[in-house]
Amino acid sequence: MSDRTGPGFAPARDATAQEQLSVEQPALALRGVTRAFGASRAVDAVDLEIREGEFFTIVGPSGSGKSTLLRMLAGLDRPTAGDILLRGRRVNDVPANARPTAMVFQSLALFDHMSVGDNIAFALKMRGVARTERLERARGLLDVVHLPASYLDKPVTQCSGGERQRVALARALASDPDILFFDEPLSAIDNRLRKLLQVEIKELHRRTGKTFVYITHALEEAMVMSDRVALMRAGKIVQVAPPLEIYDRPTSRFVAEFMGEVNVWCAVREAGGVALPELGLAFPGETLPQAEGLLVARPEKLAMLGEGGGAQAIVAGTIVDEFVLGSRKQIHLRPDGDASRPIVFGEIPATPDAPAPGARVRLGLAFADCRFVTE
Amino acid sequence: MASLDPRKAGPLAMAPVAALLVVGFLVPLVLVAWLSLMPERTFGLDAGLTLANYATAFEDGYIVPLGWSLFFAAATTAICLLVAWPMAKTLARRGSAFALVVTILVALPIFVSESVRLFGTALFLMPRGGILAGSLNALFGFQVGSILYTKTATLLGLVYVYLPFALFPMILGLSQVPRDQVEAARDLGASRWQVLREVELPNAMPGLLIGGLLVFVLAFGANTEANILGGQSVAVITKSIDQRFSYAQDWPLGSALTILVCAITAAVVFPVLERIDLDRLLRR
Repeated sequence: MSDRTGPGFAPARDATAQEQLSVEQPALALRGVTRAFGASRAVDAVDLEIREGEFFTIVGPSGSGKSTLLRMLAGLDRPTAGDILLRGRRVNDVPANARPTAMVFQSLALFDHMSVGDNIAFALKMRGVARTERLERARGLLDVVHLPASYLDKPVTQCSGGERQRVALARALASDPDILFFDEPLSAIDNRLRKLLQVEIKELHRRTGKTFVYITHALEEAMVMSDRVALMRAGKIVQVAPPLEIYDRPTSRFVAEFMGEVNVWCAVREAGGVALPELGLAFPGETLPQAEGLLVARPEKLAMLGEGGGAQAIVAGTIVDEFVLGSRKQIHLRPDGDASRPIVFGEIPATPDAPAPGARVRLGLAFADCRFVTE
Repeated sequence: MASLDPRKAGPLAMAPVAALLVVGFLVPLVLVAWLSLMPERTFGLDAGLTLANYATAFEDGYIVPLGWSLFFAAATTAICLLVAWPMAKTLARRGSAFALVVTILVALPIFVSESVRLFGTALFLMPRGGILAGSLNALFGFQVGSILYTKTATLLGLVYVYLPFALFPMILGLSQVPRDQVEAARDLGASRWQVLREVELPNAMPGLLIGGLLVFVLAFGANTEANILGGQSVAVITKSIDQRFSYAQDWPLGSALTILVCAITAAVVFPVLERIDLDRLLRR
């Protein structure tokens, strides 16, 4: 692949870049990357570093700007401000066809007028690889994505949905890119197939060791597949962390709520500790980083207390609803006392003799299991 | 209102057009084909059958006007497709007011009689007092010759008259090029030229072929451009046919030439039509 040197890219800097590789240079670095459409900013001053060999997922609701961000990374769109550095080299003005990256499109964007083999071998054809050689490579890639070699000559229009997914994957791999981008490739297929392909993509990541940057609006997909997750909202990255950490230690209410059902309470710092006025609860001896703010707690952190059991704080009330999640069930609890008190989400084992709606239970909560977040 | 048997509705709806085609197209064609097999300069349809007229067509040098007609048709098609491509690409991409204005500007001349337009072009091209030469002389004191009454002027007229017939199907064809495929091709390392060859042309092909066919067939059968702009510089086959039927009063030979033109047209049109998926073009 020809290495394009852009303006202001002196060979001297190239040498230093080489030396710096040992200091773990990120595969991709974004510095204040912005994409404005008129007055609105689809992507707003995003700073991000994606490590070499990482499975990095950007997750966010539709319209959050994640696709626009990915298109800029792939070279299909240009930032209106900021810099994109690919292994330390500024690539803002490098077009898509000159970047060592490949993308799996949401629509898959397969070439319908070509066979499976010609689709997969497309990138090689563009580089002038001879036909027999590139079809040989395509045959190998069919094996990688678990398609039979006989598919080489099959028209791509005659493939099923799942097969088309695999062809798109193989086509992106054919160019042997340093980084693979995925733009919600699994959003339009049925659940079972999606699970299967998730496993395959993850396995592919392990096997190739390449950097994968994946975009999805499906939280669960981000959780199962990624090394790190970035949460995006209204053009900005809200939090970047490994999946468990982002679930366990959200820094904002948006993240906490996006990552699943969560209790959100106002909290006030007092002389003797922390109070939750809405529930009439207090954690004596504890403190908050600010005078007041929000505390969030996952339902599974509110454990049911047996007869005479104790906890740092106790919410007693009546179960008004339940949702079975397999071996456990989530319960919605109406706390005793004032009717204006918020419903509390808890989680209990889903055994046959477990309390059902109408039953009274006591849930215990430890302050250490709560997280202080911003609005 | 009595309800119509759905099985009869289709044929009934087709009947007026079918009748028109039989009377206006099929019957004359059969008559001409039959007449082409009659002896020289006869007007009846009951003389003995002969292929003499076809022999005469080849022996008497009608190959030359036929060749010119083919050349003009091919050249017009090629130039129209080349000129229309960048414009069609812009118009297919932009669904804006700009596109609408340009489309109207291109379509507008179609509403003016072809002969009127061609005489206008002739006025424009005329030497000395013509609009082009006269203006250049008056404004810049600059004398130019004229291409009026040359083969070049004929070709210019053909391209001018038939360009819209290439442009509009091409816009339709280009609107079939999926944007994501173009982006995927770029992403996979294709240069602009490779994108054109690998993605744009194959996807736009139905529109290109239809546009090309229309221009080819129309230009092949064109007569006025060569008459008005070409003057005496060139004789095309349609002019020869016209002369056989009128001045020469040799209907059988005129018919034989007509049949030859039809055969050549069919030989070009049918193989191309076979490659076009009209359903796909119209449905999407």
